[in-house]
Amino acid sequence: MANKTILVAQREYLDNVRTKTFWLGILAFPAIFAVAIGIGWIMQKTKATQPYAVLDLTEAKLGERIERNARANDQLASLRRVMVDAKVSPEQLAEIDAIDATDPSTFPKKFADQQARIDPAEAKKLLGRIESIAARYRYVALAELGAADGTREAREKALKDKVRTGELFAYFVLEGDPVRDADELKYVSNNLTDDALRDWYSGATTRVVRKLRIAEAKIDPDTARHIQEGIDFKAQQVTATGAVEDVKGEQKANKFAPVAFVYLLWIAVFTAAQMLLTNTVEEKSNRIIEVLLSSVSPSQLMAGKIWGIGATGLTIILSWAVFGLIGVNLGAQVIPAFREWNLTEVVGDPLYLASFVGYFLTGYLLFAAILVAIGSVCNSLKEAQNLLQPVFLLLMIPLFAMVPVVQEPNGLMARVFTYVPLYTPFAMMNRASGPPPAWEYAITTVLILGSVWFAFKAAGKIFRVGVLMTGNPPKLKEILGWLRTG
Amino acid sequence: MDHALTLRGVTKRFGSFTAVCDLSLEVPKGCIYGFLGQNGAGKTTTIRMVMSIFHPDEGQISVLGHPDAAEVKDRLGYLPEEKGLYKKMKTAEIVAYFGKLKGMDRSTANEKARGLLTRYGLGDWLDKKCEAMSKGMGQKVQVLGSIIHEPELVILDEPFSGLDPVNRDTMRDIILDMKRQGRTVIFSTHGMEQAEQLCDYVMMIHKSKLQFAGTLAEVKKGRDLGIQLDYDGDGLALKDLPHAARVNDHGKHAEIFLQRGADPQQALRWLIDRVTVRRFDYREPSLHEVFIRTVEEANQRLEAAGAGR
Repeated sequence: MANKTILVAQREYLDNVRTKTFWLGILAFPAIFAVAIGIGWIMQKTKATQPYAVLDLTEAKLGERIERNARANDQLASLRRVMVDAKVSPEQLAEIDAIDATDPSTFPKKFADQQARIDPAEAKKLLGRIESIAARYRYVALAELGAADGTREAREKALKDKVRTGELFAYFVLEGDPVRDADELKYVSNNLTDDALRDWYSGATTRVVRKLRIAEAKIDPDTARHIQEGIDFKAQQVTATGAVEDVKGEQKANKFAPVAFVYLLWIAVFTAAQMLLTNTVEEKSNRIIEVLLSSVSPSQLMAGKIWGIGATGLTIILSWAVFGLIGVNLGAQVIPAFREWNLTEVVGDPLYLASFVGYFLTGYLLFAAILVAIGSVCNSLKEAQNLLQPVFLLLMIPLFAMVPVVQEPNGLMARVFTYVPLYTPFAMMNRASGPPPAWEYAITTVLILGSVWFAFKAAGKIFRVGVLMTGNPPKLKEILGWLRTG
Repeated sequence: MDHALTLRGVTKRFGSFTAVCDLSLEVPKGCIYGFLGQNGAGKTTTIRMVMSIFHPDEGQISVLGHPDAAEVKDRLGYLPEEKGLYKKMKTAEIVAYFGKLKGMDRSTANEKARGLLTRYGLGDWLDKKCEAMSKGMGQKVQVLGSIIHEPELVILDEPFSGLDPVNRDTMRDIILDMKRQGRTVIFSTHGMEQAEQLCDYVMMIHKSKLQFAGTLAEVKKGRDLGIQLDYDGDGLALKDLPHAARVNDHGKHAEIFLQRGADPQQALRWLIDRVTVRRFDYREPSLHEVFIRTVEEANQRLEAAGAGR
């Protein structure tokens, strides 16, 4: 008897897996993902250099100092970054932090000293980094723009024209005495959305002006630095053993990983359940169902379909998992952030992977039972879609709850969700970063297996009658009647 | 046990509508049995009950000696009225799949499927997808799928509908081959000619009630003889034939029933003067006539019953 269920399942599985569109669909998902990430990355990399000019009308000729500081600061940041990547000692990092980019008399030497300490491979990386950062904004001398001399109005008009024609991305006007009163600084550009240049230049101006103000007020530079020091809380967490440890980047990624998993889980459950619905309606509308029912019982047919398409869904998510692992490993080679978050470990986390597969299966089975029942009473996909809408809305809720639950994995909302059977798989996946205590895993497993069993029973009763019905879909009252009598 | 199928007092209702009413029937083993009746008469419902797809509200059904077809599923073959195939499956695969569902092992089913398809003229289509086939071919594939496991009893719901003459002949061959192998074949049809040519037994349901059942000879016994006329000329003239009770004119062929006591010879003489007679045959009525008469009589009875109430 069970043999026939397997035959049906096998056929369903092969029918799906054999088609090219199935594999294209599987490939499309990570491909679209990769393209989306890739496009962002390429856009970042290929962002056009933004040329800018500075009309410096200050007596102290602050413009020059600002420009030098901006560049020195970039170099210093690059150096620090490379050092962090090279995992140098905290003492050396402190030395780097102590370098004052606003002091042109000491900066070049100190910078060169540090540069000399790193090994050639890192040094090369550093140069590349400095170059790429330097290329983001290009300083254009006023002489090149024909705005070196003349009345103020004429010079500014020349600059405006360059902005209008696109030759300049923006120009800055430094006026008055910014050290005393910085009200008369202007930034002129046609681009209203990209503020990066303005922020970058403002940063440098702030540093320069601040240093001058400190000197003017005769405050000891060390005191000033002490006063200006930003305060930060070091993030720590309590481990399972009760010890307190520092939070690393990878752990943050780890905490948020369930969001990605829930999302994938949702897509997988929904894709598979939808496949099942379409397939049931199709089989019913092309009347093949009656032939099948002369050979297998309705419950065998239903179980066969559900398992066959479940296996299809499992194939999808396993393929994604493989793509994910490959992608993260490849990504780690190219994009440094991947390495810092230790995504390979996150994606390969056994608890996550096991939860993913386990909750896919249970979640799928639950929704599969509902959808196969819906499919069995519908004569066309159009009818099915109408009935599907409320189910779809129900399914949306875990998506909305995703982020709040991950932020508070053992909070009230998370717990409430956990005990609504339809959401248990999603909620438990979502909370995996907690992770929930073992007893919750035990209770939810019982709960969800019970729900699946119940859903299968009910769906079986509806399926048996519904699948042979033609004409109008039955009313809810009739369906309830089947459930009672069946 | 000499009956492949026995129905006793079987009744099936859908809500307030009675689809089959108190139906009793015996189908001997090894015969070809025709189920006749108008659309909606109750044939398909009867067949579905036999197949245990529906369960009768009253009465007993015995299929191959078992009260429930589910117990002997693998010994039955079934072609439903509405025919469908998996579009994406290959012809040989789907026939083999049906065989496997009936308990055949993989290699036997595959081999048998290819053999059957080739034998009945679908050898070129073995590895083509079902969606590429015409309706008639699809129907043949389905029938082969329902008989691949060599069932003892085959039930075909309107196997001839929508087939061209060549495919009709193939379908007829399939049915006759099964009879030769000693299997029992039940089929429902609207084609009286097929029923007349093929069936050992026929039964007819009208408005959920059994009207007659038996061998062709039994069914026709006691009915008025009729004139079978092939002719050329103006068929309208036939309407004026003296002493004619009923005229079924098909244009080139007509079936004429005379009033009791009228002389067929006189009718022939009258006809020769008006149309060119190519064949004149005075004999038992066709199944077609029996069918039509039965419907008319039954309707009259129902009307009378309705008026008398």
